[in-house]
Amino acid sequence: MSNAPFDELEAELAKFPPAVLDAYREALEAMETSFSSEELLLWAKEGTAIAGQTVRSWESAVEYYRVCPLVARSLAFPSFMQWARCGTYLSQDSPALAVSFFKASPSIVSNLRPQYIPRWAGLGRSLYKGTWKSSTLSGRFFEVSPDLIRNLPFWDVEVFASLVEALSYKSYDVAVECLTLGKDVLPAMGREREAFLAMCRALSDGNWREVKSCFEVAPKALQQIDEGQTSRFLKLGERLTKVGIRDTARFLTDGSLALGQIPQSSQAHILDLCEGLLAVTPEAVPCFLKSLDGVMHRVTINQLDTWFHHGVQLLKDNPESGIAFFKVESNTSESLLETLSSSLELERVKGIVRLYCRALSGTPIEVLNTQELVRRNIGWVDEDTASTDGTKVFLPPVVDHYQDKAQNFSWFKVVATHQVGHLEFGSFDYDFSRPALLFEEERRYALERERGAEQINEDVLVGDVEADGQMRSYTDIGRLLSLFDDRRLAFDLFTVLEDCRLDYRIKVEYPGIRQTAMDVQGDTLSRRPEVEDLPLQEALVELLIRMSLDQFNNLPIPVDYHEEATILAQILHVLRNEAANVEDTGEATLRAYEIISRLENETQPEDQWEPEDMEEPGDFSEEEFQSLLDKLQASQDSSGDAGEGDPYDSPEPVDYRGDFKPEMVQLLTKLQMDQNQQGEGEPLSQEMLEQLLQDSAELELDAEQGDINNSTSTFAQNIMKEAGVPPPNSQPGQGYGPLLHDDDQGGELEAREPKAYVYDEWDFRANDYKPRWCVVKEKSLDEGDSAFYNDALKNYSTLLSHIKRQFELIMPETFRKIYRMVDGEDIDLNAALEAAADIRMKVPPDEKIYWRRNKIERNVSVVFLLDMSASTAEAIDEGRHTVDDRDAPDDPVEYMVWLRRRREGLVRRHYKRIIDLEKESTALLIQALESIGDNYGIYGFSGYGRENVEFYVIKDIEENFTERIKRRIDKITPLHATRMGSAIRHAITKLENQDSPTKIMFLISDGRPQDRGYSREGVEKEYAVHDTHMALLEAKRKDITPFCLTVDKAGHDYLKEMCGDMGYEVLGDIWALPERLPMLYRQLTA
Amino acid sequence: MVEAVESEQNEPQFKEYAIEEFLVRSEPYYRPVGDETELFTAAYNQHIPVLLKGPTGCGKTRFVEYMAWKLGRPMTVVRPMDGGRPAQELNEGEVRVPLVTIACHEDLTASDLVGRYLLDSDGTRWIDGPMTRAVKAGAILYLDEVVEARKDTTVLIHPLTDHRRILPVEKTGQIIEADDRFLLCISYNPHYQSALKDLKHSTRQRFISVEFDYPPAEIEAEIVKKESGCNDDQASALAKLGEKVRNLRDHGLAEGASTRLLIYAGRLMTEGIPPRRACQVAIVWTLTDEPELQRSVEEVVSSIFE
Repeated sequence: MSNAPFDELEAELAKFPPAVLDAYREALEAMETSFSSEELLLWAKEGTAIAGQTVRSWESAVEYYRVCPLVARSLAFPSFMQWARCGTYLSQDSPALAVSFFKASPSIVSNLRPQYIPRWAGLGRSLYKGTWKSSTLSGRFFEVSPDLIRNLPFWDVEVFASLVEALSYKSYDVAVECLTLGKDVLPAMGREREAFLAMCRALSDGNWREVKSCFEVAPKALQQIDEGQTSRFLKLGERLTKVGIRDTARFLTDGSLALGQIPQSSQAHILDLCEGLLAVTPEAVPCFLKSLDGVMHRVTINQLDTWFHHGVQLLKDNPESGIAFFKVESNTSESLLETLSSSLELERVKGIVRLYCRALSGTPIEVLNTQELVRRNIGWVDEDTASTDGTKVFLPPVVDHYQDKAQNFSWFKVVATHQVGHLEFGSFDYDFSRPALLFEEERRYALERERGAEQINEDVLVGDVEADGQMRSYTDIGRLLSLFDDRRLAFDLFTVLEDCRLDYRIKVEYPGIRQTAMDVQGDTLSRRPEVEDLPLQEALVELLIRMSLDQFNNLPIPVDYHEEATILAQILHVLRNEAANVEDTGEATLRAYEIISRLENETQPEDQWEPEDMEEPGDFSEEEFQSLLDKLQASQDSSGDAGEGDPYDSPEPVDYRGDFKPEMVQLLTKLQMDQNQQGEGEPLSQEMLEQLLQDSAELELDAEQGDINNSTSTFAQNIMKEAGVPPPNSQPGQGYGPLLHDDDQGGELEAREPKAYVYDEWDFRANDYKPRWCVVKEKSLDEGDSAFYNDALKNYSTLLSHIKRQFELIMPETFRKIYRMVDGEDIDLNAALEAAADIRMKVPPDEKIYWRRNKIERNVSVVFLLDMSASTAEAIDEGRHTVDDRDAPDDPVEYMVWLRRRREGLVRRHYKRIIDLEKESTALLIQALESIGDNYGIYGFSGYGRENVEFYVIKDIEENFTERIKRRIDKITPLHATRMGSAIRHAITKLENQDSPTKIMFLISDGRPQDRGYSREGVEKEYAVHDTHMALLEAKRKDITPFCLTVDKAGHDYLKEMCGDMGYEVLGDIWALPERLPMLYRQLTA
Repeated sequence: MVEAVESEQNEPQFKEYAIEEFLVRSEPYYRPVGDETELFTAAYNQHIPVLLKGPTGCGKTRFVEYMAWKLGRPMTVVRPMDGGRPAQELNEGEVRVPLVTIACHEDLTASDLVGRYLLDSDGTRWIDGPMTRAVKAGAILYLDEVVEARKDTTVLIHPLTDHRRILPVEKTGQIIEADDRFLLCISYNPHYQSALKDLKHSTRQRFISVEFDYPPAEIEAEIVKKESGCNDDQASALAKLGEKVRNLRDHGLAEGASTRLLIYAGRLMTEGIPPRRACQVAIVWTLTDEPELQRSVEEVVSSIFE
């Protein structure tokens, strides 16, 4: 190596202050090992280039030489030179900048890809604007760079730098402060960093002063929000900023605080709302978030929607009042919240109401939302009115009649009791041929004969005569109602009279509800129309309604029709008797109809009304009634015309009594019955049904006259479907073919192959089971190599002998005789001899002279359920990263691909996975169980989707332990998802068939239950947890002791909810599993 | 029924009986629902063992007590079996059918029933077990919840319940022929037995089976009134409540409210406890621990009681 060039160089360097040469010489020694001599020369020369830039740039050169040995370690020569050149350029602009650059370099180059180095230098350079302040800023940038580069992806650093630059145009101080804050704040952020920077960027254009406070509040604020929602939240902030809303920092704090107060699962929904609001009036968003916490304390998330949408509507009409609304500073807002918070949603009390109805009726009644009934489109149209179809009670989804939840619940109770009353007290059991109990004369037969005669006369013309003279009617109620010309009036009378009978009966049978019922009736009364305004017929019906609601005093009675009103009251009073049956209602209807139908439906003059009390109208007498009828008939005959008056119109319905459709209920029941006993008689055809429906007074077809035929036929079809009657000429593909069961929206599933089982699934939102929702497919696990099993035993030999010893200790206890008992199976000879001797010696003998066997006979059956989900493939050594299912696709095929991809990276493994430990633990456990002789089964479960819950038999509970089982253990592998509920239910079935007094189910899992359509249903992430909880509860109800062991450290979050008061344990250290599992089991059964 | 027994010295009052001497002396209240008394009397006369089936607290035990009293009454004619001992002369007021009741549990073994050797001051002495005593004394032996007992008890039940009517006493090497008046009666609650604990058919088919259930509402009201001393309205409301709550069997409740519980509630009411509260403690909380179920039953209570 020639030294000449170097000597030259040294001479050159000597021109500069001596520090430069010193630094060079010092560095040279270290550099000689890294670079060849040619490279060295280039390196050294670069130093002179730097030093020669400006007066002060020798300082840069000193720093250059100083850091070179460190930088050279990380960079190859070409990159190294590129780096050095960056320094040269910088020193050209400002030597101080270059110094900072070089100082930061050693820790940068080891963390930054070489091609980014110039860009990094460029970032620092761009902050330098030639001023003193900018140079400080730029220097500060290089100073914090090592931290930034180490912790952030480079592009985020770039964005951040450009933000700082943008700020520097406004204020260098702010820029410097943000730079310093950013160093700490940004690395702590996750995916939301990008959104945060974007938001700050948006701020820097306008309210740049706020950027700093945003940096200050962000870390704390964002912690409050669900990880998945932070980006959306920040995006919202950005958009708000862009439309010019001030005080972003406040938005961050307030907003995150508000979101932090509500459950994570609802946060996304709130953000949806915010985004919706943003589109309408951005100013309202901060107000909304600010009030959110207070509002959420008063109402549920569903009710919040109602409140929110009301506010949005208001905003659209009048932004100012809208904003006041969202600030909860307006009366509208306040009173709406008041109503909402006191209102009661059926969903929340459905379980209680259902059991209540079942208790009262003694039948397995379902309680459903009225909307459900309307959706079936079988004749019920009112969404807010309670009703029943004979097997289900339909109640309105929300009650908000009162300012108090308890009162609203009472309302539900009154309504439900009334509906169940229809069943309990036989409204739908009307039987034409069963005698009424309280009315002596059976007028219906007479009327039927009379009518029958007319009918026959008409029919003769058409040529269709029924031999027995009876009219054709499908149902008994239909038969009754067909006796009347004005079916509408007759039906209204029947309804009010039957409801009167029921309400009376309920008050007698359920005195506890009397007061509430009376309150509800009182309320209803206050809303009834004025009797005086109604035409006569309607007025009389209204009078009956009022009396049925317990108003007997001060009733306005038309003076001219005093007698009629009195007799009507008498008729009604007959039904106010515990003994009255539905046939009495029928007879009462008949009588009331005969009176009212003979009157002219004309409005009475105002002065023709007099208030009167009808509490005790006297007893009903057939003679008086008949004489009234004769009188009416006579006047009708004498007046000649039929006395038209106004056409009769139905009264306003009594809201709490709901929709009463006895004919429809009887029809449905009859159709179902006919369906069940096919072959007997002629089934009702669709045409006949349509005819029936058209005649029925219960159907108010809102359709235009022309559409009636159309909608009746739709009704008829729906009703037949409801009753399970296949429609005539149905063809596959018209909706009656095989149902498609393959998506989550589909219906019930069927087990189509051997060893497949169908189970219900608990839907906590509906508070009910989804019937036949999951198919569990039981399969035997493939056999692998028994080497795994034997190796496991070898590896854990010390632990194994310990475990075995522990277990063997349990065993002898069961056979051990216990001596010296006061009482026992037989005499303990030793003790007896002693006692005998004592007696001889005149010493009081010990009376404990018996022995007996330990009474606890160990008889335990246990099922172990191993989680074989994909997540068990995770390596243990490498720390657990959270399993992210959020972006799992919904489509089954894609889901499989996704799962497979997730697993692929984990196939080639040199480390231990969770499942490996599960397997080893199983091996040890089997040894322990075999030594103790408990009856046990080991199963693995996995699956994808509800139609594919896989249940792998590793050792069936009735199977003996053989080599095959050892080989099966080898094949336990991570598979798909975890639908725990169904697997548990199948395990219950397995255990149920065992006759041990002690039954245990041991669930070993590594995380939350999750599956397609099980754990990712939007807001309802809790679905899986709730279903699993219910499955565990079912086990408990069947005297099975469930126990959950999880190795998921986050397990505490959901296990409490999932297991309730049932046993569970979160294993902090997964390595402890092989030891802990058998020990836990021992504890559980000892 | 709530009769405060207060002796003048305020000392505890109790009576001791030898097990086979326990006689039901005063008429126990029993309200026949069907023909069960006739059936039992016939079975007794014909030496046919009786199996009483029914849910808890529906009156099985009371029925047996009542029958013991009724059959032991002087006017009852105990018909002699052919070749048996002659009809006894029944003195006025004499009661002859003792009742031996044994509540079975899982530790009850054959020797508990038959007897065992005990040490005496100078040697051992054989002590008859309750079954032996009943067999000798000609009592009605009532094994309550028989399926709970150990399997070895069937060894004793079988020879006693067929035509032999004998009790082998293994340890003493004796066989005891049952007294003519002896009758074995067992009870069994089909509801809460697992398949495991079911009675074996060879055992079952030695008995006639009388099924018990909670009585119909009117009769139950009568019983509740009589037993608890509450008023008519309360009694019929309680009976109604019982009926309604029993509707919830299989909808979460393992067992319906027994007549016994209704009577408890009635007694609390007689003592002045408000009806809703009485039902809550006697019925709702006794029946279930599940909050939703409790609430539902409470709603039924609050509908029925003011």
